[in-house]
Amino acid sequence: MRKQITLLFFILIGFCATAQTINVKGVVKEAVSGSVLPGVSVVIKGTVKGTESDFDGVYNLMNVNAGDILVFRYLGYKQKEVAVLNATLNVSLEIATEALDEIIVVGYGKQKRKDVTGSVSLVGEETLEALKPIDATTALQGTTSGVAVNLSSGAPGAKVNILIRGVSSNTNNQPLTIVDGYEGDLNSINPNDIESITVLKDAQAAIYGIKGANGVVLVTTKIGKKNKAPTVKYDTYAAIQQTSRKLDYLNATEYALVLNEAYAASGQSLPFGNIGQLGFGSDFQEELFNDALLMNHNISVSGGGENSRYFISASRTEQDGIIAKENSNFVRNNIKLNLGIDISEKLNFSVIANYFTTASEGFAGSVLFNGLNYAPTFAIDEDDTNNFLGIEIINPLSQLRNTFGSYNGSGIEGNFKLAYTPIEDLTITSRVGYKIFNDKGRSFTPIQNYGASKVFNTTQSSVYQYKQTSTRVVWETFANYEKTFAKDHNTTFTLGTSVQNDLFDGIYATGINVPNNSYDFADLSLTDPQNEQRNLNSGFNDLRLISYFSRLQYDYKGKYLFSGLVRRDAASVFDKDLRADYFWSATTGWKISDENFLKDSKTINFLKLRASFGTLGNLVGNNLNRSFLSGEGTYVLDGALVDGTAQGRIPNPQAQWETAEKLDIGLDLNLFNDKVSIVVDYFEESRKNLLIENFPVSGILGTSAPGGGNPTVNAGTSKNTGGEFAINYKALDTENTSLNFAYNVTYVKNKVTEVTGGAFIEGGSFAIGNLAPSRMEVGQSIGYFYGLQTDGVFQNQAEVNAHPSQNGLGATVTSPGDIRYKDMNKDGVIDFNDRTNIGKPQADFFMGFNVSGKYKKWDFSMYLYSELGKEIVRNYERFLPNSNKPNYYLGRWTGEGTSNSIPRLTNEATNNKLFSDFFVEDGSFLRLQNVQVGYNFDVSTLEKVGVAKLRIYTSVNNLFTLTDYSGYDPTINGGAIGAGIDSGNYPSAKQFILGLNVEF
Amino acid sequence: MKNRTKNIATSIIIIASLFIVNGCSDDYLDNTKVYAEDSESFFNSEADYYSALVAAYDPLQSTYINVLMGEIASNNTLCGGETATNVPGYQQVDDMIHSPVNSELQSLWSLMFGGVNRAAYIIEFQDKTDFIGKEIIIGEARFLRAYYNFELVKWFGAIPIKAEGRFGVGDEKTIPRSPKAEVYAFIEADLKYAVSNLSYTTPQVGRATKGSAEALLGKVYLYQDKFTEAAAVLEDVITKGPYMLETDYNKIFEAAGENGVGAVFEVQYTDVEGASFDCLQCSEGNVAVGFQGVRFTSGEHEPYTYGFSFNVPTQEMVDQFEAGDNRKEVAILDIDAFVEVRKQELLADSDPNNDDDFPRYTLGYEHTGFFNKKYIPRVRSANAAGDLNLTNPNNYRAIRFADVLLMASEANNRKSTPNDTKARLYLNRVRARAFGNTNNEITTGGTALTDAIYQERRVELVGEGHQFFDLVRTGRGTQIPGFSTNKNELFPIPIEEIQFSQGKWTQNKGYTN
Repeated sequence: MRKQITLLFFILIGFCATAQTINVKGVVKEAVSGSVLPGVSVVIKGTVKGTESDFDGVYNLMNVNAGDILVFRYLGYKQKEVAVLNATLNVSLEIATEALDEIIVVGYGKQKRKDVTGSVSLVGEETLEALKPIDATTALQGTTSGVAVNLSSGAPGAKVNILIRGVSSNTNNQPLTIVDGYEGDLNSINPNDIESITVLKDAQAAIYGIKGANGVVLVTTKIGKKNKAPTVKYDTYAAIQQTSRKLDYLNATEYALVLNEAYAASGQSLPFGNIGQLGFGSDFQEELFNDALLMNHNISVSGGGENSRYFISASRTEQDGIIAKENSNFVRNNIKLNLGIDISEKLNFSVIANYFTTASEGFAGSVLFNGLNYAPTFAIDEDDTNNFLGIEIINPLSQLRNTFGSYNGSGIEGNFKLAYTPIEDLTITSRVGYKIFNDKGRSFTPIQNYGASKVFNTTQSSVYQYKQTSTRVVWETFANYEKTFAKDHNTTFTLGTSVQNDLFDGIYATGINVPNNSYDFADLSLTDPQNEQRNLNSGFNDLRLISYFSRLQYDYKGKYLFSGLVRRDAASVFDKDLRADYFWSATTGWKISDENFLKDSKTINFLKLRASFGTLGNLVGNNLNRSFLSGEGTYVLDGALVDGTAQGRIPNPQAQWETAEKLDIGLDLNLFNDKVSIVVDYFEESRKNLLIENFPVSGILGTSAPGGGNPTVNAGTSKNTGGEFAINYKALDTENTSLNFAYNVTYVKNKVTEVTGGAFIEGGSFAIGNLAPSRMEVGQSIGYFYGLQTDGVFQNQAEVNAHPSQNGLGATVTSPGDIRYKDMNKDGVIDFNDRTNIGKPQADFFMGFNVSGKYKKWDFSMYLYSELGKEIVRNYERFLPNSNKPNYYLGRWTGEGTSNSIPRLTNEATNNKLFSDFFVEDGSFLRLQNVQVGYNFDVSTLEKVGVAKLRIYTSVNNLFTLTDYSGYDPTINGGAIGAGIDSGNYPSAKQFILGLNVEF
Repeated sequence: MKNRTKNIATSIIIIASLFIVNGCSDDYLDNTKVYAEDSESFFNSEADYYSALVAAYDPLQSTYINVLMGEIASNNTLCGGETATNVPGYQQVDDMIHSPVNSELQSLWSLMFGGVNRAAYIIEFQDKTDFIGKEIIIGEARFLRAYYNFELVKWFGAIPIKAEGRFGVGDEKTIPRSPKAEVYAFIEADLKYAVSNLSYTTPQVGRATKGSAEALLGKVYLYQDKFTEAAAVLEDVITKGPYMLETDYNKIFEAAGENGVGAVFEVQYTDVEGASFDCLQCSEGNVAVGFQGVRFTSGEHEPYTYGFSFNVPTQEMVDQFEAGDNRKEVAILDIDAFVEVRKQELLADSDPNNDDDFPRYTLGYEHTGFFNKKYIPRVRSANAAGDLNLTNPNNYRAIRFADVLLMASEANNRKSTPNDTKARLYLNRVRARAFGNTNNEITTGGTALTDAIYQERRVELVGEGHQFFDLVRTGRGTQIPGFSTNKNELFPIPIEEIQFSQGKWTQNKGYTN
């Protein structure tokens, strides 16, 4: 029977069998060092029969036919195929110096890099190790073309956003993140546990259907190797953090002079009589910023036995904030387990579990805003009791003293996977991915009084507490059938299904009158049970998805590549008749370098042309079709509040997800013995059915009523066009010396091509009382800035008289020293119809430049990141007569021939504070993200105690940033409508790091 | 061979069964939990109707913008505020240079239609569930719809109306603006239903009564110059209704005077719930009050507290008060006089060198020295929730009995067969209270009496948002600085609305889009 099957094997795969079999034995070694390699996979080509090398690199394979070809595979090494001639076969493997043999995960399957027909970026372990990100997302910044990373804030634990090939949507631009097959997030993972991060940027990601439009980030975490003794690694680092920037504001003397001038200009009495004694006054920024500590410990054990592989790690990260470290910090703990067991030859079981806890404290974003605007003439601890600064600016340090809160989260995520290989070439995988996350928060608002009528005052204390649970379970089953027909026709077929359920449950409560007005008593149970404002609420969400997918990958001789896939998704959160759709893509590639005319080229080692096209979805628009009674209908009857029932936001029964159509044409080229590798891509994406929130509708629909709202409508199309270029140059690569340069640049242009039912959508906010500064409008990039265009400063009355009247802007007196606005529509008057495009929040170009190398025991690396061609709105000034001001006011207009850009100071009504390009700055920057030097100790003397590696290093993150932008941090989020408006964002920290890596 | 076939067969069965189990079917998607009520399956009990009615009252609170901007539009006050550009929409209305681009007018339009739709929601489902006393709820819903529509027709003239219920998406492109006469007929029908189904007493303080509906109907007639009808229905309010003139004019505008004997209809406010600028219409307090306060920088000065210095009365307005008119002190706060009095009091009480407690304030834009005392912020209770500027609890005295008397007086004077005796009787009742004696009675008749009634309305109702509309409906708009006849009688339809209607609605006369 067995022979019959064996015979069938050989017939099927077209090999001629000889009757004679032998037992093959050999040692597998590393080509350069000559050290033995355990855990190398040895398989007879075309069969599933095989073994692995043991601790000594020795393998044994019984009953092999002479003439069979053995395939030796080991991660990070070039695959080797050797024909069996006799009973001993020793093999040495070479390190895969060129990345072409790298295995790339492409979603429900893997491919060799050289066979990939989509646009893919890869970040490996070494980059993560060098950059030491707290959130692994940061490692993508500058290291991967087409990927931009933005910090929402520099605060510890703040969310990091990824944009793949620009901003397309107003709703959600975050890519799907798949960790080892389960849907997760990068911020819950210990970056040290990550083996590699793959980014799918084009239509190849259509295998993820309704969730793939923003690109897909695939994370593979580490696992041990079979037959390998345990390797223990301990990594630690400590860092001192400082703010990367402080803003130049007026000191007390400058401030008093400037105020006096403004008061005098409007004929008011001077606020400061004696300026001589004021000196520098208080520097509130100085008081707010502090040096802060960052610590990380990480320990891992990995290895494997005959039938098992494992990886276990634990880590802890503690980060204090660079502002008010007592009030802002972040702690994350991780425990990770990866375990793979071969139950039988045909059945493999693996389990992945990542348990994590996070804790953080934060404070209101307005602290920095207050720090900037508070008058330097006040003492550090002095409150503005007389309302000198109006009602909206308070002492930031008093504000911090009244800030109390905590946040804790904990979760477990991972998957259980069974892989079954019933017949050769066919693998059936069934896996359950899960993520269970619980978090809770508590914030206490004491009774506060910062001076008469301040808006921050509270007359009663309150505590707000909440608990939330979110659970995600995804059960996926898919089969991969990989087969070569008639020698040259390589085919892989995938068929699968996925079922997902996301549940969310939260309870929120506010209690009033906390005993003793103290955080120590800030618990709901202690608050006033009778108080009318005591509030209890809950939230619930249930999302379900059912999907089917299929993919065919085919190549002829590895030269002509093709793949096609289709996925059907149905989601519970849309109208029943509209909830299902098909997504598809087709990709193709041509390995030109395999053609005869290039085969022997000395210059060109590898050349592949590839193209892809397909449709993908962005899963947003949930439950918009439902008409809920969520409005506010409260009125006062019999002198007491009575809650009524009213409609909430207007439903949109037609609501659906957003759809992307993506085209990519790319080229992969390796030159000069693979020393130079180049990847070039051109891409286009049309994002259709863009959801537009708060879609303006006629007021007669009653959407302005309390708790009401305009519907969210699929009503726009935007188009991203761009290109990527990445080049890697291996200048030196020997055992002792290496030097590598990598550069990548991405250009993206966004253009809104359609906004149904109206010319534009507007949003964002600037200062107080200004019209919305951001727009989505046909022909412009999404969220561009719309305001007045300045044309210098009026130098004298004659210039004022010669210019069209600016009275239509509000202030009816224009004087020399006021800003001159351009009459964009040439109608002879300046009014709000003269607003125009004055910038956009997204960069045209973003690029990274990385150098790394080693010399003997020293290693070093450097990562630069740059964004060019974006604008930022300076919105951290509160234009009140007495608020402190940036020191650019020192260069203000003070008479004819002085400044032609900065207007005069006055307390009179002027049009100078209207949203114009005066407040829009070039946000381009170049940042040295990381520079690092490491030293590897000679461990030969330490080998007795088991030390295999000992390295110390020092590095600096964010050492410098070159920019013309005057705010804290030009890396401010470049999203859609309302993005790029800087209200005093928490700056990124500069980090001086000292670290240690030990391996046993 | 068999084994292999078996293996393949097993594989197929495994795959197939996994797919069946795994994939189930789209039915799986139907069983999601929602925990939310749907608007179209509501109105299943009396409680549901009541609850929807409460929500229909709620938008009355957003009429603060009508009152504030209406007063600013008149010749009584200037816009004020922090700077010229503080609220450009108000400023433009004050200067009569407003255009269809005006976010305050757009708010007013949208908020009032919000009210119309909340009331119409109940009317649309009025036949779904029966219970005893339903006609009261429907009567109040129709009163409210009339109230909101009357505000809209006052400001914008012709408006779209939909008798059967709420406006839906797309109606703006199909339903025309009904001419004013049709709108008024629609309002009259709603009010007549309310008059015949409501009684003079109400189950809860704050809800509309028969008297509220009659008084509003009288006003609606007056705005159409239907003086005979107005006189008749207002006569009912005066003779059959339970209302009296509050003897102390000052008491009316203090907390103690809320929902008093002269309150025909009041918009209810409270300060126990917080609010923010993000959603002014969500406030349960009277937003207009905080807007009108003095910009004190020295805290509270019993009985007043700080605000934003909008809507400041002009000297010309203050001069309208005759000597001996007690209303002047109630209606107008002369800030310099107030500060001086307080200084003297403090100096008498304490250390003369300590000037910390002296009232201080910053000058707002267009400072006149006067504030709208009826509706400036009072010192608040300990329960008051912030932002205190937005949660002042002062009820808006929407229809006062004095207003009813003056309307009745005008209707009797101007109807086709005038009854000046009755007109003078009602007018002089108001004046007797104002002067505290009967020595200042008006004795003229005819148009002289008409003018006296107009003048009386101005001083009696100053600061309450009526003057602009009184001037316009009586053809005296040109008294307003900057007023253009044949244009400023109505406000422009917000430009956004013209665009939404895609040509169905045209702009009001004199305004260009």
